[in-house]
Amino acid sequence: MATLSRPLTRLRSGEVLEEIVRPDEGLISRRIFSDPEIYELEIERIFGKAWFFLGHESEIPEPGDLVSRPCGMDPAILLRDDEGIVRAFLNSCRHRGMRICRTDRANVSFLRCPYHGWAYRNNGELLNAACEDHYGPGELVKEDLGLIPVAQLASYQGLVFATWDPAAPPLEDYLGDMRWYLDIVFGRTGGVEVVGTPQIWDVETSWKFATDNFTDNFHVFSAHHSLVELGMLPNDPDFACYGHLMTPGNGHVLHFVKGAPGDDAFMGLGLPHDLRARFDDHLDPAQADIAREHGISAGTVWPNFHWLHLPTSGVIDGEPVPFLNFRVHQPLTPTRTRMWSWIAVDKDASPEHRRESYETYVRTFGPSGIFDQDDMENWEDCTRASLGPAARRFTLHHKMGINRPVDASWPGPGPAYSDSYGEMTQRAWYGAWLNWMSRAS
Amino acid sequence: MGTAVLPGTERYGRVTAFLYHEAELLDTNRFAEWLELLTPDVEYRMPVRTTQFLTEGDGFQEFEFFSENLASLTTRVRRLETEFAWAEVPPSRTRHFVSNVIVEESQEPESDALEVRSSFLVTRTRQDLDYQMFTGVRHDLLVGGDERFAIARRKILIDQTVITATNLSVLF
Repeated sequence: MATLSRPLTRLRSGEVLEEIVRPDEGLISRRIFSDPEIYELEIERIFGKAWFFLGHESEIPEPGDLVSRPCGMDPAILLRDDEGIVRAFLNSCRHRGMRICRTDRANVSFLRCPYHGWAYRNNGELLNAACEDHYGPGELVKEDLGLIPVAQLASYQGLVFATWDPAAPPLEDYLGDMRWYLDIVFGRTGGVEVVGTPQIWDVETSWKFATDNFTDNFHVFSAHHSLVELGMLPNDPDFACYGHLMTPGNGHVLHFVKGAPGDDAFMGLGLPHDLRARFDDHLDPAQADIAREHGISAGTVWPNFHWLHLPTSGVIDGEPVPFLNFRVHQPLTPTRTRMWSWIAVDKDASPEHRRESYETYVRTFGPSGIFDQDDMENWEDCTRASLGPAARRFTLHHKMGINRPVDASWPGPGPAYSDSYGEMTQRAWYGAWLNWMSRAS
Repeated sequence: MGTAVLPGTERYGRVTAFLYHEAELLDTNRFAEWLELLTPDVEYRMPVRTTQFLTEGDGFQEFEFFSENLASLTTRVRRLETEFAWAEVPPSRTRHFVSNVIVEESQEPESDALEVRSSFLVTRTRQDLDYQMFTGVRHDLLVGGDERFAIARRKILIDQTVITATNLSVLF
């Protein structure tokens, strides 16, 4: 139940959000997956304020490099200016609001608005407005009319995040204990770099169903059962339970999964041995042990940045090869979500591993992936079945492991829970969602 | 550019008949038969497209939506034959429209291969859902002679930078 100290959010239906979404009890109203009123609240209370992933530093290596990306729900430009400083701006001219960068990537010294010709340096300063002679004294203060920057921008392990909220805590504090795990996933061998450009596709789902799925291990046996049939996944409903779930605070959640006892298949993150040998150079001993002993990891940086590190194969009887995929789920409407999906490889990976990792990702995940296709099927039909007035009166069920004690022996920041089949990560994520949604200002 | 094989010739007719036969196999879920149209060393790719200024080229990147060989395509087909490939269970109803077929003789010496470009419109509807569409052009290398063509290379240049049709669970 909602605590007395928390402000209540009364919906037009008469329901109180804090009563229909009870993460601590594992009860989540289906209403939140389709209701436009709740979506409007999400826009203001989450997407105007949280930290969002924009891109990886390796995507803009040279001065002038830029990529067009969403920052939350707003179109943004992520670029490296002439002095090498990474910056991000609202992709909108200060004059009439015209979208100023209209390609997905470019290398530019200047950005010129098509509408009236206002031109900006790649550090955001307004260089020229239109027809300047026709402005009277004080009518055009160019110093005040640079491109609108994000309120804060910072990177961690090469991942560039930004927020529109000047009052947001710094990224380091926002990530908190999650940084320790990001070190393992993204810093394990001294850094990763993005391959190519993201795949982008739209799915008819609430962004939250896609997110709910991301740290869910026990859907795999059923949702991806076609691959069990083909011998590409173990024929054991418990095969992905040999790991830990972590909820290290602020809504960030993740897991690490190893193979069944006696099965060494999922060790060392599945990486080639030359890369595993580097763990000790870049991780502290406890981090390196986690990397050595596990194969799979997925996680979510609140609210909508996700990673998946998975050793698998895209062909029958193929040897598993790991890939590192990361994603943004960008809401377009209450029931439509744009998926942005990147892969990264260890900077020091051999050309062979680079190619195999890339091919494995493309064949198994993304819109054509033989795993991912079936996930999207679930998210879409979960969304469609939650639209009606009857469905909206009922909750979903997220109670697995709700009484499971914390595993104090886990060497990393916690709380951590043994047995990677559980819904702790979803409950923690929805708990953060409710906290953000309950903040009126 | 290789020597054009013109519409109205028997050879051109054999190419279009092959492409229509292939489309029919895909539209009638005869995927195992479709695999038989591919060479053992087939390359089947669909690069990701980005929006770029014309001066920067066509926007296709090194990243792909499909990066396939015969083993991975066979895996996809075997998967569709299980009862658990949920994205296609129940199956899509597709229609592969193939047009603008341009046929040229390969410029490789001693080769009877043909370079074939064909535009495609693939429509899909599933369950009670509205139509989804995919459009683009395929660049194929057909080998094996006119009597028994096989696809040795297919590059699918899709028009969209953002796939708006949920997934790419269909073949092109």
